[in-house]
Amino acid sequence: MSDAVTMKMTLPKIPDIELVALEGLDRLARHLGIADGKIAEARIIVTEAIINALEHSGAEAPDVAVEFTMTTGELSIFVRDRGRGFVPGAVEEPDIRSKIGAPNKRGWGLRLMKSMSDDFRITSDGGGTTITIRKLLR
Amino acid sequence: MEQPFSLTSEVRDRALVIATSGYVNNVGGEAIAAEFTRHHAEGIRSVVINLGGSKVVNSVGMSFLIEIIERLQESGGKLYFTDLDPAVEKMLSIMGLFQFAGKASTVEGALHELAASGGVP
Repeated sequence: MSDAVTMKMTLPKIPDIELVALEGLDRLARHLGIADGKIAEARIIVTEAIINALEHSGAEAPDVAVEFTMTTGELSIFVRDRGRGFVPGAVEEPDIRSKIGAPNKRGWGLRLMKSMSDDFRITSDGGGTTITIRKLLR
Repeated sequence: MEQPFSLTSEVRDRALVIATSGYVNNVGGEAIAAEFTRHHAEGIRSVVINLGGSKVVNSVGMSFLIEIIERLQESGGKLYFTDLDPAVEKMLSIMGLFQFAGKASTVEGALHELAASGGVP
């Protein structure tokens, strides 16, 4: 990826800290002359990845590592937490029909990240969870 | 950076119109649901949520809107979303919300749809 710009940050577990990452994302896009509308979906992906990681990061290692690499054509997103991990394949696919009437209406993060990205990979074990996403900036 | 969440609301043509501004996170979603609950208790059954001032939303905030859809279904009401950023519209579509809620370009358009469908009791 020539002319790529990279940003790395470690986010503490405080309310709305994901907005700091979004500010960085916007700055990278402006630097590369990428139209605001082209990163709108990336904002949602990044938001979901970070709040998901913060929620699962645990009390002992609450920080979340975030890295963006952006070119004029695509964005790579890397988000890692050091929580207890989970089995991604065991996560129930959310369905609006079953959510209506159910006490838990949450659980949409993975679905949104998968559906809005061009490549989505997740690895998770007892040492934490890593999400790697590729998003074309069309 | 995205501004803190705030909302305004008014009743127009017997429909509750809520307009949001800023980040719709869990706090924002809860505030929307609370505003809805207050008016729903007074008999309002038609709701329009204008998300035009919110370029950033998250799924936790949006999950509160499922609660609104649920309660409107129980009471024979209807929800419309308006002024959606394309990315937010795609998000709501992925979540399946448009199976149970309408969408319109503007608040006026949503009120027209509600009136035409008899959705404003």
